[in-house]
Amino acid sequence: MSTVTEAEPSFDRQATGSRLDWQRMLPWGLLALLMAAMLGLQSQLYIGQERTVTAIFMFVALAQAWNVIGGFTGYACFGQVVFFGIGGYATAVTMVHWHLSFWLALPLSGVGAALFGAVIGLPLLRLKGHYFAIATLGVAEGMREVVTNVPALTGGGAGITVPTVGEDATTAYLGNDGFYLLFLGIAALSLVVALVISRNRFGFALRAIHQDEDAAGAMGINTTRAKVLAFSISGMLTGLVGACYAFQQVVIFPDRLFDVELTVLMVVMVVIGGSGTVLGPLLGAVGLQYLSEYLRHSYTEAHTFILGAIIIVAVVFLPQGFVNYVREARRSGDYSLLANVRRYRL
Amino acid sequence: MLEVSGASAGYGRVQVLWDIELRVDEREIVSLVGPNGAGKTTLLRVLSGMVPVSSGTVTFRGDLVNGRSVEQVVELGISHVPEGRRLFPGLSVRDNLRLGGWRGKHTDLEPVLELFPGLTTRLDQVAGSMSGGEQQMCAIARGLMSRPELMMIDELSLGLAPVVVDEIIERLPDIAASGTSVLLVEQDVDAALRVAARAYVLETGRIALSGKAQDLLTDQRVQESYLGLG
Repeated sequence: MSTVTEAEPSFDRQATGSRLDWQRMLPWGLLALLMAAMLGLQSQLYIGQERTVTAIFMFVALAQAWNVIGGFTGYACFGQVVFFGIGGYATAVTMVHWHLSFWLALPLSGVGAALFGAVIGLPLLRLKGHYFAIATLGVAEGMREVVTNVPALTGGGAGITVPTVGEDATTAYLGNDGFYLLFLGIAALSLVVALVISRNRFGFALRAIHQDEDAAGAMGINTTRAKVLAFSISGMLTGLVGACYAFQQVVIFPDRLFDVELTVLMVVMVVIGGSGTVLGPLLGAVGLQYLSEYLRHSYTEAHTFILGAIIIVAVVFLPQGFVNYVREARRSGDYSLLANVRRYRL
Repeated sequence: MLEVSGASAGYGRVQVLWDIELRVDEREIVSLVGPNGAGKTTLLRVLSGMVPVSSGTVTFRGDLVNGRSVEQVVELGISHVPEGRRLFPGLSVRDNLRLGGWRGKHTDLEPVLELFPGLTTRLDQVAGSMSGGEQQMCAIARGLMSRPELMMIDELSLGLAPVVVDEIIERLPDIAASGTSVLLVEQDVDAALRVAARAYVLETGRIALSGKAQDLLTDQRVQESYLGLG
């Protein structure tokens, strides 16, 4: 990455004096409006469309969760799916073996994923760059093997079935409408968390760590605590999504819940949208997931090929992501993509 | 205020500093000079909690510095302007300054802007896009934001034009007078000795000479070894 990155907004907008209250409230207003629109949209959708939009909500939440550690803090986690898997399996296992209600299993899964993030974060966050990426990748792959090899608890490679019907069912299956609302809620939660972090003191510390960790420490920031907390929050959000996903799928397998492709999608969505911003990962997740669905319908044979090509072009021309590109272009008045490539050539 | 007595330190089995005796008093500018590899930067890293001492003590107003983490040393009232400035390059000057006031949540930029008025028009500019001199001013201003009682500046002149170095060094007496003692580590021995009240010469990990900066300026050994005179 280039050293001259985005000029990020001051964390305390009031201090600049030029920011009015309505400007600070704007993102919150837009978020509320978006929520209302999504609630209204639900009644207009066919079942297939409703499922598609539900999947988009899921990726909005996942991308924003990855953004907390990979975007704000600058620690590219390539094993993020481990939290997804832990959340999913925590929900399935507690619903099957402890007969917990889903509404109890869900927060427990979030807490479990957060704790796991803290436990592996303490050693792993001492690593930087590629080393951190590879170590987290290893954790995710390893966890998949662990889950596969304790069939008494997890059902092993054959999968585990969340009780949703009959006497064993602890919580009635939510159906398409229910899951639409559930994932909408999780997406909204992740957006709120990201918005809060992006504007408070904690987020300011994360940005400083992203820029120069040693210097951040020299300012008196407890970098270890900030990094581990960011990793835990990121893990918790991802775990919550995994929990909802497990309930939605009913039958879950280690290969799907610890699928590295999910991590890759989160990273790509954040990077293309604009990492370290709140809007970027939202646009990246909606854009990419919608595009993926559209291509799947329109070009059944070649959709992954076309999607891959689009991603490559996007990364080449917008290496800093869409939102950061627009922000810089507006400041410099130079919208040329070629100039952008030159600025960020590696 | 800062007392270093009998301090030795190093990296792993490589010892860099032997039996260092050094002192900085209130509202005083002290310079630490010496050739490359003498251990100047290591000594500053010891004082800011980044490198532990193997023997001896470092105390600041009676509190033991050695054994504390970097964050805890900042809390004691010591700030460190590191070699190469280490600004947050992608953040604005304003945010760099505000991060300097992290501990104690100092947000008032006025005092440091009075000291370096040139930064006032740069507040919303990305720190990494400024000139070297402006970046050094920003780094010093950032170091002052926590209202430290002691500020250590490592290689202030690094990569800067002499005229810019003079301009920044001229500000140091104001900083000291306002209540922040300065420990200046410099390769530009002439400039460092002219601004300081006292100075230490570090050679191969030991204090070779110390005393009033004025006396060192006229010392024959200093003139021959560092000032190219004699």
